[in-house]
Amino acid sequence: MSASRGRRTAITALLVLLAGAPLLALAPAAPGAVRVAGMSLLWWYAGVAAPLLATVLAIIVLVRGE
Amino acid sequence: MTALAAVAVWLQPVLLAAVVVSVTGGDAAAPWLALGALVAPLVALLAPEMRPARVDPVTRAAVALAVTLVLASEFVLAADAAALLGRAPWLGVLLAAALALLVPLLPGARRASAAALALAAIAFALPLVSIALATGTAPWAAWSRAGLRPSLTFDETSGWVRDGERFARPAYLHFAEGQRVTALTAGTYRVVERDAAPPTVREWHLAAGESLALRSGDELAVEAGARLRFEAGRRVPGAPVTGVAWADAPDRGLPMLPGALGALATLVGGALALVPSARRGPAAAAAPLVLLVATTAAVGWGIYAGATAPDLALGGSLPAPVVGLPTRALGLRAGAPLAVLALGALAALAITAVVALRGRLVTTGSAAPALWAAAVALAAALAVIPLDPWRLLVLGLGLAAAAAGPARFSTAGDAAWAGSLVGVLAFAVLAGLPVVAPGAAPWPEVLARYPALLAMPLGWAVTKARSGGDAARNMATSL
Repeated sequence: MSASRGRRTAITALLVLLAGAPLLALAPAAPGAVRVAGMSLLWWYAGVAAPLLATVLAIIVLVRGE
Repeated sequence: MTALAAVAVWLQPVLLAAVVVSVTGGDAAAPWLALGALVAPLVALLAPEMRPARVDPVTRAAVALAVTLVLASEFVLAADAAALLGRAPWLGVLLAAALALLVPLLPGARRASAAALALAAIAFALPLVSIALATGTAPWAAWSRAGLRPSLTFDETSGWVRDGERFARPAYLHFAEGQRVTALTAGTYRVVERDAAPPTVREWHLAAGESLALRSGDELAVEAGARLRFEAGRRVPGAPVTGVAWADAPDRGLPMLPGALGALATLVGGALALVPSARRGPAAAAAPLVLLVATTAAVGWGIYAGATAPDLALGGSLPAPVVGLPTRALGLRAGAPLAVLALGALAALAITAVVALRGRLVTTGSAAPALWAAAVALAAALAVIPLDPWRLLVLGLGLAAAAAGPARFSTAGDAAWAGSLVGVLAFAVLAGLPVVAPGAAPWPEVLARYPALLAMPLGWAVTKARSGGDAARNMATSL
């Protein structure tokens, strides 16, 4: 994968991760309100999963120098 | 420039404190604001920077104004912090302005700011670790417990109950149950009684120490600077009615989508405009890690504050949860040093952000110390008015996005200049909408709150049209 393509893919992935939070929160039937281990799915996503994924993704691209 | 130094401009204490207050108060937008605070600068770090050889005067002036607005938001935060510590708000503005004026001009300030940023982010997170260990409660357990409360009430240790506290911003409080409120500052208090149709509006001229008996359903308008005392055990006015409503805001729904888009577009556009491109390589990993630590800590502060003391978000003071939570959770003896550490961390973040903001002005061709002094003076003047710091930050980021966004994606100077001009004009018109047409329809209201939502794509479209597709190709390469 070329450097610019890798970077473009990473940026798209970051924006998709970002869009996931309002989509999960505002979708009909409120899937984000479902509780998983005591906390809502929305907060597991916006507070834990998406930040970790976004950080790992950014580190990989930055460290490779793409 | 290192990636860590590049993100210093982003980690504004106002941004972090706004996330804290938003989570504390159970704001419906809190989850995507918190995520946006992290992801927006990551997008900017990965996006290539293709600036034209010379920055046009429109972009230069708009970026200078945007930097001034962001500075003003920091100074308002400093005023709030001074008021929380029992000092006059203007003292906070004066101290912050003096530091902002001098520190960026010190030799070596930019070199030292990267390390200071990393240390400040860690210091911001440390009190939370201490609270989690001392209370034996993980953040998700605190969230879960907070979400089960039957009501959010004042406890007896609350400053609002013991000595009363000050409202930093004007507030409109809705009372879900009756309680007696004591005015500690003389003034006029307007009460809307909704027990009959049409509602009755009464104005009470109260001397210091006089009380008002408010009933369930009443609304109380409070001026900025007013001090009030509430009753222990009663519901916090304006807070979610129950823990379930705090955990899952009942007003979340599709009508919020335009506002969510506006907030996220402003954050991403503002980051693209202000966070400069940085060197890649192994050392660059520090920047995403520091961003993760700082934004996760902000969410953590909000969760523990919302679970322990929901009244900390009542007065509209952004630093209140950070200053108040440690003593409320652990007592004065153990909590006070942690509050000092957290406040010190915010102050250090403010200084590194100010150094980076000055650097941003320099890269747009405005290196004159006199211009920096003018920006600081104007920001200090704005901060004396009790404006909402979050609104100032949104306007600053949005203006920067509308002005500098086109230049980021085009090497053709003329095209970027035209795009910036259109973007800035559109931004000014939309931001002025509330003054020109108060009570506009929901979509214009969203555009007035987040003018960059329309101004930014307009600027890009003009740049694209004028550069014959070069800008579009550059944007496609980066995004």
